[in-house]
Amino acid sequence: MAKRITIQATRFDPEKDTKPRLQSYDIPFSDDSMVVLDALNYIKAHVDGTLSYRWSCRMGICGSCGMMVNGTPKLTCNAFLRDYWPQPVVVQPLNNFPIVRDLVIDMEDFLDKLKSVKPWIVRKQEIPLGAGEHLQTTSQIDDFKQFSQCINCMLCYAACPVYGLNNEFLGPAAIALARRYNLDSRDQGLKDRLPVIAEAEGVWECSFVGECSVVCPKGVDPAKAIQQTKLDTTMRFVLPYGNRE
Amino acid sequence: MSAPAVHAPRPALAHLFWWFMFAQGGVIAAVLIPVHVLVQGILGPLGWVSVVDRHYDTWINLLGNPIVKLYLLVLIAVPFFHFAHRLRYLLVDLGVPAAKSTPAQAIFYGGAVVVTLITIWVLLTTAPLKLG
Amino acid sequence: MSLPAGEAHPALSNTYRWSMPANWWTRKRHYFFYMLREFTALPLALWLLWFLVEIKRAGDGPASYAPHSSALFVVFSAVCLAFALYHSITFLSLAGVIIHVKFLNRPVPSRLIVLSQFGLWAAASIVIGFVLIWFGR
Repeated sequence: MAKRITIQATRFDPEKDTKPRLQSYDIPFSDDSMVVLDALNYIKAHVDGTLSYRWSCRMGICGSCGMMVNGTPKLTCNAFLRDYWPQPVVVQPLNNFPIVRDLVIDMEDFLDKLKSVKPWIVRKQEIPLGAGEHLQTTSQIDDFKQFSQCINCMLCYAACPVYGLNNEFLGPAAIALARRYNLDSRDQGLKDRLPVIAEAEGVWECSFVGECSVVCPKGVDPAKAIQQTKLDTTMRFVLPYGNRE
Repeated sequence: MSAPAVHAPRPALAHLFWWFMFAQGGVIAAVLIPVHVLVQGILGPLGWVSVVDRHYDTWINLLGNPIVKLYLLVLIAVPFFHFAHRLRYLLVDLGVPAAKSTPAQAIFYGGAVVVTLITIWVLLTTAPLKLG
Repeated sequence: MSLPAGEAHPALSNTYRWSMPANWWTRKRHYFFYMLREFTALPLALWLLWFLVEIKRAGDGPASYAPHSSALFVVFSAVCLAFALYHSITFLSLAGVIIHVKFLNRPVPSRLIVLSQFGLWAAASIVIGFVLIWFGR
């Protein structure tokens, strides 16, 4: 007898509904390698074409398919149905974000915060083209490599209760990426990023819950990035000659 | 469409300072408090070991020592900056956004300052300073 | 285009504003233990205030000096000790996350840093415990 599984997905039509509700779908669980994203795609293709959600690469690198799966933020392409079966799987839009429709959230706030930390190499002085490329040792790359793994999937924002309680908080990914560039030996932009990182709603709002690092699918450890940023920023102001560019 | 007014970000030095005090207080509290609670709060009262604060003359002698006074100041006052910060944010986490306001900061961090001042006063007035 | 924080994109109408449930910290084990960790500040503060009061009372003279001995006080201290240990363990473990130093141009592993913090705790406890008991003999 073929296995089946129940998916309960959030439905919200901004033109008709005042608040979201859960809709149940009973679908075949035909292959043990099926992930929640496969289930959503099956529903959209065969059961209910109106279900809306974001996805792209289906292999854990684009960061598009983040949703709450049974109350935990996950990449739905990385959440295996076999880990939940035979219980129903509840799929909801990421916590802490406004809901646009069904499982789609409004990510403008995150994008604004990301842009505010200037997540690119900032140079005061570009090296002349004739001088060739920037050179980096493996050790210099190791300094920032972990924090560069961020795929902007926003699971950390969904997990962070500080962000949930206070939308002004800069948030884990933005701070981790700021640190990634501040630690990059090619970058000269720390002073440019400092006002955003060190403002009232910057790193100081973090109370080190640590759930961001627990849910991060790429092992970025944003909690570590934030705490180290707090310490480095404090040392800049406390030590008269320490840690300045 | 016109750009909305955005405040210019700048480093919040007050937050930086209170976080720094929180970190210092946390280390002091973590490293020093447990042994005091164990020895003076449990073993001593139960009579399982003989503790200095139960022998009046020795205790007063020790309290007169300036190094002991300094140690007690650090032990008691500095952790209160840790407690103030943590308890303020605990209120924020419990859904009291007023705990982020400037008056709330004044109450909590001001409270830690008050405890520091009281501790200094107690240490200076209890058991006269014995130098040498 | 920069938007004030929390505002939905102007092209999107009627987005559903999500809000944190008041009991958010009861819904996940990790959140609960985080709140417990934050709460440890309260019992520790109370115990230190007791200590301050005892020091003050010592200054009032030998006749009125009677340090607490009641069973209630021992229970209070035992509860505070539990919270103090939880605070120390979590705080010193997390110090390994925050402190990043390089020795001979290589990062010191965080396990070593955490070990040094716990070593410091152990050393301080032994020294202070010794002082408290030695002078009480």
